[in-house]
Amino acid sequence: MREFEFHEPETVQEAVSALANLGDDACVMAGGTALILAMRQRMLVPEAVVSLSRVDELRGIWETSDGGLRIGALTRHSDIARSDTVISHFPMLAQMAAELANPQVRNQGTLGGNLCYADPATDPPAALIAHDAQVDIAGPNGTRRLPMEDFAEDYFTTALEVDEIVTAICLPAPNPGETALYRRHLRTRAEHRPVANIAVAYELNNGTCKNVRLAIGAAVPVSRRLRRVEALLEGEQLSQGLIAEVADMVAADIDPISDGRGQGPFRRRIAATLARRLLAEAAGLDWSEHRT
Amino acid sequence: MNTKRITVTVNKERVEAVVPVNRLLSDFLRDDLVLTGTKRGCETGICGACSILVDGDVVKSCLSLAVQMDGRSLTTVEGLADDGSLSALQDAFMTKGGLQCGFCTPGFLMAATDFLDRESAPTETSVRQALSGNICRCTGYQGIVDAVLAVAETRNGN
Repeated sequence: MREFEFHEPETVQEAVSALANLGDDACVMAGGTALILAMRQRMLVPEAVVSLSRVDELRGIWETSDGGLRIGALTRHSDIARSDTVISHFPMLAQMAAELANPQVRNQGTLGGNLCYADPATDPPAALIAHDAQVDIAGPNGTRRLPMEDFAEDYFTTALEVDEIVTAICLPAPNPGETALYRRHLRTRAEHRPVANIAVAYELNNGTCKNVRLAIGAAVPVSRRLRRVEALLEGEQLSQGLIAEVADMVAADIDPISDGRGQGPFRRRIAATLARRLLAEAAGLDWSEHRT
Repeated sequence: MNTKRITVTVNKERVEAVVPVNRLLSDFLRDDLVLTGTKRGCETGICGACSILVDGDVVKSCLSLAVQMDGRSLTTVEGLADDGSLSALQDAFMTKGGLQCGFCTPGFLMAATDFLDRESAPTETSVRQALSGNICRCTGYQGIVDAVLAVAETRNGN
């Protein structure tokens, strides 16, 4: 690994000032799992590394006054998976965090670091989008808040300016009666990096869907909601027929990644299958009965 | 060279060191402290041979910098034995045949130690999930899983 200057700010203000001074030559380090690997492989060769690990205000999980959740950017995946607050109010998020990567990476990697690295082959973004999450960002001139869906812009590219950091991820209180589900597909159980994932949040009234948010991730460069699919589901009964229609629409409405871990047509097929299984689970139907 | 002074506790002993900021934790342990039980395997965060405990949590030391450890408490495989007598888990690895070539063993021991500290009633499935960040290229997983389950059973008085 090449040499670099090592900065350890202790407050958000110090961190963004350091980044403003260093400009393009600096990388921000949260847990370090992705950054250290990228630096060792010389994919990134920063002049300076700004470690956030002493910025304690970025660590923690808080319930907000409206019943939502505020997760500090430096909160580790294992902290989210084990948090009683997350488990009781956002069980899908806790389950997603509990299965992300492997135990060692969950003990070191952070939610904010994961989002800022913006590698598509990961779990959190789709799950957070389905929960209507917002990303809190701090820079030298103050703070701003972006919907999760607008945060990642492309492969390994986010909306952050060079002198900005993510401070927290905020989830609004779930609607009464809201349920959220998440499914992903791994090529092998040991690979840990999903080739596709789908998350959905919805309310069911006598089998009728309401307020559906359905997001696709990992199969596409940037996780996003599938709004045509959401509209198709809104106000309808979750039948096997409708679920099959949704699966077809998911396949039609995505422009999948094609790479060594999965060609486009394969990922399209997997995404459709995940959507079918996820909605069958939502409806209490047996997804193994009807194969697409 | 950019260096930094760090103070860490390693296997219950306080260590002060001046380390280059780009020193990997795995290299610090092996090359500076000569704790060679921690193995360098893939060095890309996949194989888990370099796993150690940081404040009781298992992490991969090839994905950490030594400077990140300032003020933290580390346990390596050398720290598992108590006064020369092996831990129950280490004993179980021997009696259950939880190792073949032995290269991955320190990493598996550390991951399983963290798991057993948290989980009082493990199942084969939960053991396999807990060890999913470690690879045994001899593919001797069954003996490893049996060893972890055996420790839990003994601990629960069965």
